Amino acid sequence: MKRVTKYKSEITGTEVTFTVSEKLNKLKGKVLAPKKLAEANELLRKLKTPLPK
Amino acid sequence: MKYEVYRDIGVTDDFSLFEFFSIGKNGDILKRVTFTRTEDDRVYNLAFGDVDEADEIDDYVVTDNGERNKVLATVAFIAEAYTRRFPDHWILFRGSTQERLRLYRMAVGLHLEELSVLYEIWALVDVGIVKFRKNLKINAFLIRRKIVTLAYETCHQI
Repeated sequence: MKRVTKYKSEITGTEVTFTVSEKLNKLKGKVLAPKKLAEANELLRKLKTPLPK
Repeated sequence: MKYEVYRDIGVTDDFSLFEFFSIGKNGDILKRVTFTRTEDDRVYNLAFGDVDEADEIDDYVVTDNGERNKVLATVAFIAEAYTRRFPDHWILFRGSTQERLRLYRMAVGLHLEELSVLYEIWALVDVGIVKFRKNLKINAFLIRRKIVTLAYETCHQI
């Protein structure tokens, strides 16, 4: 049985269907964009101010 | 703000990974969007792009499928859904190139008023984190759902 969630945008009112994919579930936990993540971590490490409260 | 979006999106059951097909002049191209926890466990990195042969996200590829705005609007939609599920997560995103970062800056700047109703929109700049404003030179965006605090009146019975 498909697991489906409808989501309506609070900004535009557009509705979209999200369907849980078993194929995607198998990729859970894998870092799919490692370079992008490394760059993000580098930016965060260089921060001179804390995250906003 | 009214843009067309792709309406059928695949998702993992933990809401961390999404995919949809871009349908354009070069055919049907699978796009993937992922939110990955960074070293700061309050911050999640948003990455998106085409899916390459290694099943990873290639965010440098130029697809040129003639539907850029629809893809960006779909990614924005996914971010909205994600932050509804995880309102306490900070989302960090930037372009893979300066051109793409400029494109995102322009897109956010153009819709800043509407987006600011829903999100706190901050920017990582060389000196730290500042509130995003139009025409600001930035290194990345950092956004989070606005926290709505409800004021409760206390009723005292006499």
